[in-house]
Amino acid sequence: MNRELLSRRSVLLGSLALTSLLNRESPANDHESMVHKGLPALPHFAPRAKRVIYLFQSGGPAQMDLFDYKPDLSKRFGEEVPRSVYPDDRKTTMSSAQASFPVAPSTFKFSQRGQSGSWMSDALPHMGDMADEMCIIRSMHTDAINHDPAITFQQTGSQIPGRPSIGSWIGYGLGSHNDNLPAFVAMSSRGSGKSGQPLYDRLWGSGFLPSKHQGVKFRNQGDPVLDISDPAGVSRDQRRTMIDSLTKLNRLKFDQIKDPEIETRIAQYELAYRMQMSVPDLLDFSDEPKHVMDLYGPEVKTPGRYAYNCLIARRLAERGVRFIQLFHQGWDQHANLPAQIGKQCKDTDQSTAALLRDLKQRGMLDDTLIIWGGEFGRTIYSQGKLTEKSYGRDHHPSCFTMWMAGGGAQGGVNHGKTDDYSVNVAEDGVSIHDLHATVLHLLGIDHERLIHKYQGRDFRLTDVHGTVVQPLIS
Amino acid sequence: MSERLFSAGINNSSYTASPLTDPPALRPAPQASRTRPVFCLTRFFPCLLLSLVSIIARGDGPDLEFNHDVRPILSENCFHCHGPDNATRKADLRLDLADSAMSVIEPGDPESSELIRRILSTDPDEQMPPPDSKKQLTSNQRQILTAWVRKKGSFESHWSFTPPKHVMPPNLDDDKWSGGMIDKFIFAKLREEKLSPSPPAKRATLARRISLDLTGLPLSPKALDEFLNDDSESFVEALIDRLMHSPRYGEHMAIRWLEASRYADTDGYQNDRYRYQHVWRDWVIEAFNKNMPYDQFVIEQIAGDMLPNATLRQQIATGFGRNHRINSEDGSIPEEWRTENVVDRVDTFGTVFLGLTIGCARCHDHKYDPISQREYYQLFAYFNNVAEWGVGPNNGNSPPYIEIPKNWPNLNPGEDRLIPPDAVKLRNARAEAGNGLQRPQAGSLSTLMVMHELDEPRATYILQRGQYNMPDQSAPVLAGIPDSLTISNESMPRNRLELAKWLFEPSHPLTARVAVNRLWQQFFSSGLVETSENFGSQGSPPSHPDLLDWLALELRRNNWDIRAIQKQILLSQTYQQSSQFTKNLIERDPKNRLYARGPRGRLPGFALRDQALAISGLLVEQIGGPSTKPYMPPKIWKSISNNTYQRDQGANLFRRSLYTYWRRTIPPPTMMNFNAAAREVCVVRTETTNTPLQALTLMNNKVFIEAARWMAQRMLAQAGNDPKQAIRRGYRLAVGRMPTSDEMSIMWQTHANFLAQYKENPTEAEKLLATGTTKRDQTIPPAQHAAMTMIATILLNLDETISNE
Repeated sequence: MNRELLSRRSVLLGSLALTSLLNRESPANDHESMVHKGLPALPHFAPRAKRVIYLFQSGGPAQMDLFDYKPDLSKRFGEEVPRSVYPDDRKTTMSSAQASFPVAPSTFKFSQRGQSGSWMSDALPHMGDMADEMCIIRSMHTDAINHDPAITFQQTGSQIPGRPSIGSWIGYGLGSHNDNLPAFVAMSSRGSGKSGQPLYDRLWGSGFLPSKHQGVKFRNQGDPVLDISDPAGVSRDQRRTMIDSLTKLNRLKFDQIKDPEIETRIAQYELAYRMQMSVPDLLDFSDEPKHVMDLYGPEVKTPGRYAYNCLIARRLAERGVRFIQLFHQGWDQHANLPAQIGKQCKDTDQSTAALLRDLKQRGMLDDTLIIWGGEFGRTIYSQGKLTEKSYGRDHHPSCFTMWMAGGGAQGGVNHGKTDDYSVNVAEDGVSIHDLHATVLHLLGIDHERLIHKYQGRDFRLTDVHGTVVQPLIS
Repeated sequence: MSERLFSAGINNSSYTASPLTDPPALRPAPQASRTRPVFCLTRFFPCLLLSLVSIIARGDGPDLEFNHDVRPILSENCFHCHGPDNATRKADLRLDLADSAMSVIEPGDPESSELIRRILSTDPDEQMPPPDSKKQLTSNQRQILTAWVRKKGSFESHWSFTPPKHVMPPNLDDDKWSGGMIDKFIFAKLREEKLSPSPPAKRATLARRISLDLTGLPLSPKALDEFLNDDSESFVEALIDRLMHSPRYGEHMAIRWLEASRYADTDGYQNDRYRYQHVWRDWVIEAFNKNMPYDQFVIEQIAGDMLPNATLRQQIATGFGRNHRINSEDGSIPEEWRTENVVDRVDTFGTVFLGLTIGCARCHDHKYDPISQREYYQLFAYFNNVAEWGVGPNNGNSPPYIEIPKNWPNLNPGEDRLIPPDAVKLRNARAEAGNGLQRPQAGSLSTLMVMHELDEPRATYILQRGQYNMPDQSAPVLAGIPDSLTISNESMPRNRLELAKWLFEPSHPLTARVAVNRLWQQFFSSGLVETSENFGSQGSPPSHPDLLDWLALELRRNNWDIRAIQKQILLSQTYQQSSQFTKNLIERDPKNRLYARGPRGRLPGFALRDQALAISGLLVEQIGGPSTKPYMPPKIWKSISNNTYQRDQGANLFRRSLYTYWRRTIPPPTMMNFNAAAREVCVVRTETTNTPLQALTLMNNKVFIEAARWMAQRMLAQAGNDPKQAIRRGYRLAVGRMPTSDEMSIMWQTHANFLAQYKENPTEAEKLLATGTTKRDQTIPPAQHAAMTMIATILLNLDETISNE
């Protein structure tokens, strides 16, 4: 109690720098500390990564067109995928009534990239340049076959809503390094192709964790943070005057009624004021040299584009934000895949590689974990009409590809194998829970000991599953 | 314990002869206290622990109460392997059942008890809980278990599974404070803790508190004056009665029920298709406004369609059972998602009516509470017969739904009777493209989704691991109540209607407790059982068990009259105390679990917006109808989904917040910012946070600026050229009182600054005044109007304004 009162008093005395923005809540709810700097026992061991940038590719990128090279399938063009390989009961109802399930080999050329010789699609030339940084997991698998449950599973470890997202767990466990920015920032972008599948607030939500841990969504329209701008006709000086007067009045109230919550509120208005300064500073690229801007490509100055978000991600990482997640929509190619996925790659390839390169040249890649991937893979059989040049692919949960880089992930690794058809995992399968366990491990967290009690039960990001995948770690 | 069994009216002298002079921790064990004099104290006085531990070590320990002191330790640390779950049970030992537990307990002899030997062992092979469980007992917990075994290790049923007991509160000689029974319970506990209640709140503060609690809106200055000038004895009661009869009461009461009922305007998955359930929402408002008894309120919502000669209104009530999310994502497998619908109904039923985490038993026996997986599917069977299809249409209501008469809610004679819904008609969606998905017909804006039973009940099976495609078809499961909750074998409910009625069996242990706890929570921000969603083994024990039981029995005795209970609570001295904090109370009871002061806390988001609209005069008081689309941030939907938010015009921008369109995947950010429930699943308790994002909303959000602009007009209206007069009016509007001289001088100075600035920059004043869509009163000079708008903004941001104190 006394310690808490003391820390409150220090807030009053103006040492606001000690307090973490968004990481403070009512003392009635959080007795351990007024300032959330993470849970006391964390990290459990020395972390390899201090922060995460998760480049989420929403919709389900086709693994066999980008990473999972299956050269022999070109001989099987149009043949039926054997039922023994692909049973009917795991096909979605979008394609399950097709008369035929013909093999659609990828139309993309593949080549071996970097010292590691990782096979990668020519649709990803820039990423290929960074192949030796990438730890490619070809044997990912998930339980869900529809977007909503699959992406919810990826983000929260459960298909059913209500659990905290991975970024919330990490913010809850490790706290923030920055006092003026949230611990978890989410951003979204659309590609130049199809509109893509929708996203939902729950994907960066805090579930049953205190809501201060939810990701703050930087909006790509209007104010980047909700209500961050003063109203038209109110200057910064006037805002300052307003808050000063409000503080005096609130302090009079506090002197009278002594509710500690009032002191917290006074501090929150100060933090809001400072956040109003730090967010525009974050978004102002005028301090970036031209060669850096060029690295990210021509769309880097356009809000709402992937390249723009990649640069913001780097700037957030520099400012100590713990978990940064980009959601790029449009990877759901049920039809006309070669043309559509080409556009998706064009929209994302250069700036993804640029982000790795930029972090590396700043010495930040070593302790920044990059994750790339979507919620599931796609079918080897063509959904709809198959031609030499075009095909569609339906959702496919049994195997897909993701990759990590930096932050303790082993570069140049190709982990796991799929069968000849890129339908099932053949070797070293990695579940979503395994991936989560590994990510937490790189952050110095034992996934079995990052626990929050809710409704009387202990919950974990990995539920009761998950194994750290050691070969992915450098 | 046994003393708890006193029947009503017996005045046991030992009851009141509590030796108040003794330090509580040193109270001798055999003393006739009916409470937990020591262990509950340790929560407030950690420093007492040492003396406590030494007492236990000496063996003349205090009263230990199994449910309060021992069960939580066993539940948290042992039940996982030695509890109700058959599948994970180790060594065939159950520590939740006395018979089994006695195999490792020698009553009275901890040294010979295997249980104690194991918990004290340091050998990793013997130690309990084992090291790999990552659970560990504290030394205090080991001491408690040891003391408990020494004192014969008696078991009790979990408190919430036994019927409420009628215990009268003690009549304490020095109790000059209590006004009614509630107060006596509160006072007795305060005495034990050596605390005193606070003086009554100021009359104006109390009036504002009651008004905000009952209607979600402050009193108008005129209504406040009437109250302050009412010199009759029953002035508080008169105010309560008046407010309870305001249509605003039903609207305000409805909000928490809408959250618990996961009511929303969209389906909640993926593309988040539109649905139309507002007629059900309006039914809820009307039910509160008519003070429908709680039993009727519940029975009609669970099974109004099955009542004999059911009315249309009763059928509409069953929309409750259809408020769950419905998946309409292309490619979905219907049976998978129909299963999720039923699961959601079972879980919601468990949380709102039983206060139990029934859902934990979907995949395996419950780890902590006596609910087996089989029993989960027995409950599932009650909700498994809905004539529904697992996948929804592309926008619109999912069958079964009914067409609501156009003249609703003013039904013609003969119209108020059940309408049989159309059967599901499936059509193929794009079959030619190999798309195997079948979707049902969609209901329009004039329909409502309701419950409707299949003629032939579906067979229910245990789903292995809870998976829709893994039914154990060896034997169907019949509908039934878990053994632990079975009241009598004769009354085993056979269907949904009987299940609803079973909740109101006279000796039902949970229904009334869970309901009154939520009513209490609404006024005191936390319930007597803090975990209002979980009355099970892992939930928090009640702070005032006898009061909880008394309120539960009172609710029943009053024929489930919600207002009568609310009124008793609001008329209590406990509720009417000043919420003034003291240093002592902050240290001793920071969460106010003992109620030595009145409640004080930030208003919920709904009330904050509604209050600003009311204070400014913008609020449009119109009950019901389709949901409204007020201001939202630009491209709120379009930026991450494929839909466009079409903002309403005119009056709908200023309706109460409970009517705001609730898109589940992108809920209204301003409400979420202030801890509203997300409406994806049933939620009966939300936290209250205090964040900078909230400050940003209150300072910058369009509706709050427009409200400030209107409030400024009101302030200036009768002020002439005197800003002080306007500021006084502003205080009256915002917090129902006059400013102090210190406050006035701060405000006056601030206003002078703003006025000078806006006079210098009239275009800036015009810009500020252009916020929003409504026209301003052009007769007010812009600089004056803008400066007063900034003052109004300060008033709308005052801690006192945004708090209920």
